[in-house]
Amino acid sequence: MESSAPVATSFAAETVGLTKRYPLTWKRKVLVALDHLDLQVRPGEVFGLIGPNGSGKSTTLKLLLGLIVPSDGEARIFGLPPDSLDARRRVGFLPENPYFYGFLNGDETLRFYGKLCGVAGPKLDQRIEELIDLVGLQNGRERPLRSYSKGMLQRIGLAQALIHDPDLLFLDEPTAGVDPLGSAQIRDLILRLKKMGKTVIFSSHLLEQVQEVADRVAIFSLGKKVLEGSLESLLTENQSTQINIPAELSAEQQQRLLAALAQAGIDGGGGKVRFTRPHLSLEQLYLRTVQAQADLASKNPSRK
Amino acid sequence: MISSLHRIITISRNTLTEAVRQKVLNVLLIFSLVLVGSSVVVSQLATPGLDSSGLFDAQIKFVKDFGCGAIGLFGFFIALLSTAQLIPQELHNRTIYTILAKPVRRSEFLLGKFFGVVLLLALCVALMSLAFAATLYWQEMRGIQAAEAAYNQTPNWQANPFVVNAYNHDVAQIVQQVRDPQLIEAVILIFAKLVMTTGIALLISTFATSSIFTIVTTFMIYLIGHMESTAREFWLASGAGSSIWQSALVGFISLLIPDMNSFTIVDEILAGNRVPWSHALNLLGYADVYLIVLLGVSVVIFDYREI
Repeated sequence: MESSAPVATSFAAETVGLTKRYPLTWKRKVLVALDHLDLQVRPGEVFGLIGPNGSGKSTTLKLLLGLIVPSDGEARIFGLPPDSLDARRRVGFLPENPYFYGFLNGDETLRFYGKLCGVAGPKLDQRIEELIDLVGLQNGRERPLRSYSKGMLQRIGLAQALIHDPDLLFLDEPTAGVDPLGSAQIRDLILRLKKMGKTVIFSSHLLEQVQEVADRVAIFSLGKKVLEGSLESLLTENQSTQINIPAELSAEQQQRLLAALAQAGIDGGGGKVRFTRPHLSLEQLYLRTVQAQADLASKNPSRK
Repeated sequence: MISSLHRIITISRNTLTEAVRQKVLNVLLIFSLVLVGSSVVVSQLATPGLDSSGLFDAQIKFVKDFGCGAIGLFGFFIALLSTAQLIPQELHNRTIYTILAKPVRRSEFLLGKFFGVVLLLALCVALMSLAFAATLYWQEMRGIQAAEAAYNQTPNWQANPFVVNAYNHDVAQIVQQVRDPQLIEAVILIFAKLVMTTGIALLISTFATSSIFTIVTTFMIYLIGHMESTAREFWLASGAGSSIWQSALVGFISLLIPDMNSFTIVDEILAGNRVPWSHALNLLGYADVYLIVLLGVSVVIFDYREI
């Protein structure tokens, strides 16, 4: 827990062989919640963790926050051990489905978390004003949190995560259970944070939203990272070629063009016919990857 | 160090605020009603007043016994129930993650929670003591009025200096019985016992997986703590514990489980026996040492707990 000397690194978050095992004493088995994760997230990046429930996303976040101890491997936050106070001064966290203290109102909640981070006096007052404005919770300042809607709770959760102006934010399912409008507001907030230069690591099931905000993603399945990369590289299909035909072509013209293509004598048509790599949606990629991993696991049930 | 203290204070205040806003103090209303009710009932058993049967003495003793007993009992339930749900509730609501993800040590979180309950207990004991003092004052008024009524049956008694002296003596005796400074000593010892109970419950809750387990186990330790010294004396007197191993076992148990029976010294105070402050301070010292050990072990266990 005490601070230790940082390791020189250019990454905001980094893991090497990070593993978490839970012994199931009664069943005489070991559950591998996370299996040798290697991950590097650069400063200023928005990084999405996606995968089915129980695939290791939340475990990764808890390990990166130093809330649980790894069974193997190592995690670093800006080169610091995640459970050091110095690392925690630089991170903010919004847990999945947070409740917070229902007896406190919005202002009191931010004041409480601010004091825990050592923010006090006029600086804290100013920070509360800024954050209430940022998350749009003017109507929740005096209301106890027990009367908040799901979307409001997520927004106050984001505000408390930002109270000490951290460089790195961990958001665990920030849009879980939130209506489409609230979800869009949270997406916009993440984009604003990105513009502010913050690093954001978040997990989500809303793949369309991940596609909208993430620079890079990692797909998890059964405790393993099975795919990682930029959205551009991951969603580009390299094994085939896509032909984009301008919409103003008549059906007859399209037929003639296809026929021509079939004969392999392709005419560029003055640049109207473009050849590009086809794109998958993130959802297609996700389902394909997770299904493949599940098929593999069913053939080789070694993961206990 | 100072920032660490600030974080502990922030968590303590939040714990106290939670208890107050969740109407824990309503328990005190029930306490006051029970106390006043008991006082009224005992007053109706017979007219208070100084007489040869010492009825007033018995009534005052009853109110004192009942008051201190009720402070101890209500305080015990507040201490046990508040402490038992401290950590499980934080885990269930996931609020613990938001706190421990901040620059807060686990030990600071735990100590903050503990001192929050101690503050709550201090507030409750202070308010219950006020209600207790008010009830005693009411009894004193009734006693003096009854004495005056008894003297008024003698016509023109104020003119007789001997009777006036007797009256003043009687009133002074009533006041002396009611305004017993040793009651403060008794309340402080009751508070110390409650804080020890809180420490035991906190230690168990650091590894327990449910509030029920914490409540039941703390209650068992509390009971064993009350019987321990008697059992030890009986064991040693009967010669059963004559071997080194048996003596070591008895010694180990008495180290492991606090001797709650030593706090029955409060009964001596209520019985009207003088208990010197030095004795009370010794007991408070014992409670302090025990508490430091309890908190130290709690911090170590909680540091290793998977959350």
